[in-house]
Amino acid sequence: MAAGHVPIETLLAWWLHETDAAATDAVDEHLLRCDACGETLDALVGLAEGVRTAFKAGLVGAIVSGAFVARAAARGHRVREYRLAQNGGVDCTVAPEDELLVSRLQAALAGVERVDAILEFSHAPGVRHRIEDVPFDVAAGEVVYLPKIAEVKRAPANTHTVTLVAAQDGAERALGTYTFRHRPWPVG
Amino acid sequence: MLSAMQALDPAAHEAPEAAVARRIAEAAPGAARDAEAELYRLLAPRARRYGMRHLGDGAAAADLMQHVMALTIEQLRSGALREPERVASFVLGACRMTVIEQRRVERRRGELLARYADDVPIADIHVAPRLDHRRVADCLDRLPERERSVLVMTFYDDAPADAIAGEMGLSPGNVRVIRHRGLDKLRRCVDGGARAAS
Repeated sequence: MAAGHVPIETLLAWWLHETDAAATDAVDEHLLRCDACGETLDALVGLAEGVRTAFKAGLVGAIVSGAFVARAAARGHRVREYRLAQNGGVDCTVAPEDELLVSRLQAALAGVERVDAILEFSHAPGVRHRIEDVPFDVAAGEVVYLPKIAEVKRAPANTHTVTLVAAQDGAERALGTYTFRHRPWPVG
Repeated sequence: MLSAMQALDPAAHEAPEAAVARRIAEAAPGAARDAEAELYRLLAPRARRYGMRHLGDGAAAADLMQHVMALTIEQLRSGALREPERVASFVLGACRMTVIEQRRVERRRGELLARYADDVPIADIHVAPRLDHRRVADCLDRLPERERSVLVMTFYDDAPADAIAGEMGLSPGNVRVIRHRGLDKLRRCVDGGARAAS
């Protein structure tokens, strides 16, 4: 941004209440006279709203924390959750009223530096989709995966697997493979 | 960061709102309706942004905006605002005081609003248009997993970096770096799509 304007990362920090009192006052004052920065802020807030709306519409898949799932549940979101032990499998579905579909993949993650996830679907045999460097929770020993629930609600019966792989110093080792046997709602 | 910002006061007399405020102050009370509408158009969005940040609620921010603009115009009409060119400073002070007052005495804010609201000109103000959330979803899909995770967890409920860091086992600084990278890519992608569609 041009000199004399607030950097967007500062506007975002101000919006998220990360700034200290002095910086908050300075941004307050600046925004009271600078429409260019005000419009940048409006666009930023609009983008945040777009992310929220897309996520709540089930159009965004993400790997998140267990605490995030708890926050969503506390806000009243209807959550369907599957917890899979290492190399476990589950018969699963999703109801029309479900808003979040949560897969908790448990693995021994102590000492692991990077985790990749490899997805395979029965309707596309031999095709592997690799997601690199996924967030993971060492203390809880899990990867918390939220698929795009809107897609899952439309999906026919299928089986898919997620394999977690620890990648370190050019070498890889499997942490676990998790099998989801999906059936559309209502499950007969 | 602070040194890069414009200070509030030094060039205040040159700002468009200063000239408009003088026209209101110099006219007979209530006679400069066009100037009042222009002042509203200039300053109301700024007051609204302040309210959004400090009250965290769209309806409360709209009330704050309306109250502060009513108060500002009333002060200009009556001559109580002795330096009209400092109207932006007055609006900021009014926003701050109103938020403090609102937290302390909710009832008084309602009385002021009721007293002045009917007498304030309402002009259309710019509000950023809603984005196509399917486009936003497509753009989120293109981000690396960590950037998508941090943006979703941040914007779901406007969570600060400290909170996200604690949940993901990262440092707050690391979260800010990931957030900044992801946001930059997301803005470019969404803006690119909007330009292509227009």
